[in-house]
Amino acid sequence: MASSSNITRRALLGAAGVAGAAGTVVAWPRLTGADIPGRGEDALTVLILGTSQDAAGRQAIADAFMEEHPDIPVLIQSVQATDWGDFFAKILTMVASGTEPDIVYTATEGAQLFAERLALPLDDYIAHDAEEMRDYFEDVHPSLVEAFMYKGSLFQLPLDFNAANMYLNLDVIERNGLEMPGEDWTHDDFTELLRGMKGDATAYYWTNRLFGGVVPWLYVNDTSFLVEERATGGEDFWSTFYPGEERSGGYLWTGSNARHERVHETVEYMRGLVEEGLAVRPEEGGGNTLVGLFASGRIGTTPAGGYWVQGLAEGGMSPEQYDVQFFPRWRTQRHQFGGAGYAVMKTTKKADQAWEWIKFTATRNAMELAFPTPSTTPARRSMVNDNLYTGVGPEHWSRFYDTLDRFPTSGPIPAPPQQAAVETALIRNISTALSGGPDQVDRSLESLDRDLRDVFSQEDAS
Amino acid sequence: MSIDRRSALLSWLFLAPTMIGVGIFVVLPIIGSLVLAFFRWDIITSPQFVGLQNFTELATDSTVGISFVNTAVFVALAVIAQLAIAMLLAVLVQSRMPPWLRVFFRSTFFFPLVLSAASVSILMRYLFNESYGVINWALSLVGIPAVPWLTSPQWAMVVVIAVYVWQNFGFSFLLFIGGLGAIPPEVYEAGAIDGATGWRKFSNLTLPLVSPTVLVASVMAIISSLQVFDQPYVLTRGGPGDSTRTVVMVIYESAFRQLEFGRASAIGLVLMVLIMLVTALQFRLARRFVFYQ
Repeated sequence: MASSSNITRRALLGAAGVAGAAGTVVAWPRLTGADIPGRGEDALTVLILGTSQDAAGRQAIADAFMEEHPDIPVLIQSVQATDWGDFFAKILTMVASGTEPDIVYTATEGAQLFAERLALPLDDYIAHDAEEMRDYFEDVHPSLVEAFMYKGSLFQLPLDFNAANMYLNLDVIERNGLEMPGEDWTHDDFTELLRGMKGDATAYYWTNRLFGGVVPWLYVNDTSFLVEERATGGEDFWSTFYPGEERSGGYLWTGSNARHERVHETVEYMRGLVEEGLAVRPEEGGGNTLVGLFASGRIGTTPAGGYWVQGLAEGGMSPEQYDVQFFPRWRTQRHQFGGAGYAVMKTTKKADQAWEWIKFTATRNAMELAFPTPSTTPARRSMVNDNLYTGVGPEHWSRFYDTLDRFPTSGPIPAPPQQAAVETALIRNISTALSGGPDQVDRSLESLDRDLRDVFSQEDAS
Repeated sequence: MSIDRRSALLSWLFLAPTMIGVGIFVVLPIIGSLVLAFFRWDIITSPQFVGLQNFTELATDSTVGISFVNTAVFVALAVIAQLAIAMLLAVLVQSRMPPWLRVFFRSTFFFPLVLSAASVSILMRYLFNESYGVINWALSLVGIPAVPWLTSPQWAMVVVIAVYVWQNFGFSFLLFIGGLGAIPPEVYEAGAIDGATGWRKFSNLTLPLVSPTVLVASVMAIISSLQVFDQPYVLTRGGPGDSTRTVVMVIYESAFRQLEFGRASAIGLVLMVLIMLVTALQFRLARRFVFYQ
């Protein structure tokens, strides 16, 4: 026989209230974020762009560091972002909320933003530990170092980089009876190569962004959409570590150069390729689908850096199916590259410990832990070797580093402190320029010029 | 304590969690945004009071102007398409058909709404790719050359609207299903005696009787589409050029790419006022066009 008991509404509400309170108490660590690993601990926090798996991947470096420095606990944190600009915005919100990390792994795109506003210069530390650092600088190309110098001070030690090289699909080349171009090929040779592929594959697939978009073409045509200057300073550094090198105190991008005739010529050339059906109209950013399309023989050529090698191998492409070449010569053969390294936040209270981390991660051992596969190009020349590429990389993998060694004027991604606004202006106007006739190029470059002037005048005003 | 006071206290107790939530997550941010609109702030340096400068600059900012025009075009086309498709399908689904088929259609049409807009847009980006998209492949089978869906200013907005409508018409559809279901069958029976069939039946009977639902659906569709972000951001990033850049995209870019939080707040406030005005206008028009039974 069923029995029933009466619970009053008041008792029920009271029980619900007690349950709610108990639930809140139990969930308190989650509600306050206190259960986040490392939160509240006195660890040196290192922030990277990526997923939690990426952070876990770098744990080996942290473990090796802590073995050498048991007094400095390290916490690797990751932040997911769609691109570097998104990553920088998230870091700034962390700064605003008072949860900023001690160290951030950042790329050329953010180097000057960090140098101008967020990062500590490393000059004193480097001068103090000059002997220890000599091995690193002897192994790293000065162009990479110069790219991380800002107004005479060095803010990051580059650990990896990628130059804009041309990937050529040998299957497509062979199918169409073409030949792999030589190192001294010109942009006219490039056009002819694309014409030979037309109809069989997408001859030139590219994306509209600051790295690998229109900028490498501007560089080989001996121009840029920004006025490029060099800062003074850094003489002591250069004479100490790179005697004989005539280098500057870093790059300065000071205004718009969008109305220069060579910029027009370059954009018109790209528009012509699109109009002739030799190149796709570039979508903005992205490029994630490219590996699969290239590996399956549907793309003839595309610009990319050494970071592609591992992806292509994982995509099932054998080293014999593709090769890399320098960007074709136009007025020059100056190439574009972008690097990355750790920056120490100005706000850190652990600057000395942070320097120990930076010094450690620049050692050969730490870099081998960081870059076990060719998913980027290590900044140390000695690491770009057969061990890294045999069986995985293309025949001419040495061109990744040769882009710097053989073309010492190669320059970094043009990324002033206002990089986000500059990139937005470039992408917006280049996509417009490529979607119409020659008149459209004129109008778009005028618009780009106007946008860039606004960006730089706002910076001057502030 | 009197019963009235205890009752009032209990009422406040029940309301408190919601009020605290709304206060912290809605009211405070709105006040914060209102205040920020009068400052220049880049997170790193201290906010600087600039008075109405953020608002006056909007008047001459071509990107902001274009984004409002784009949003207006988007809202006009997307809302009309969304409501028309939803109404058409709702009427069809409410017509005679086996119950299981009706359930199937209802679920199918509603399903896109529960998907993440970002995921749908990524998928659509593949489908509409000029070189490798399935859409162009299908068109090529009937001899139509590849269309630059996402990289041409003429087509990009069309695709953004199509993707948005595909994903969102299900909500209006469900509202219309409810509205149509509430129409008494006697009305149609009387109409049939008077000879109302087909379009006349729809325009003279169905539409007036479902007009309160149309009002609700249109208000919600307009408010939602004025705030469109996910689809244009993932599909085109606002391009080519500015051709699909919407107001909310400009707010996002101003705040989180260019670190101009004051400007972003000012645009946000203008959008909020615009939404309020449009909604008020809709309710005013509703007095003339909406019929309550």
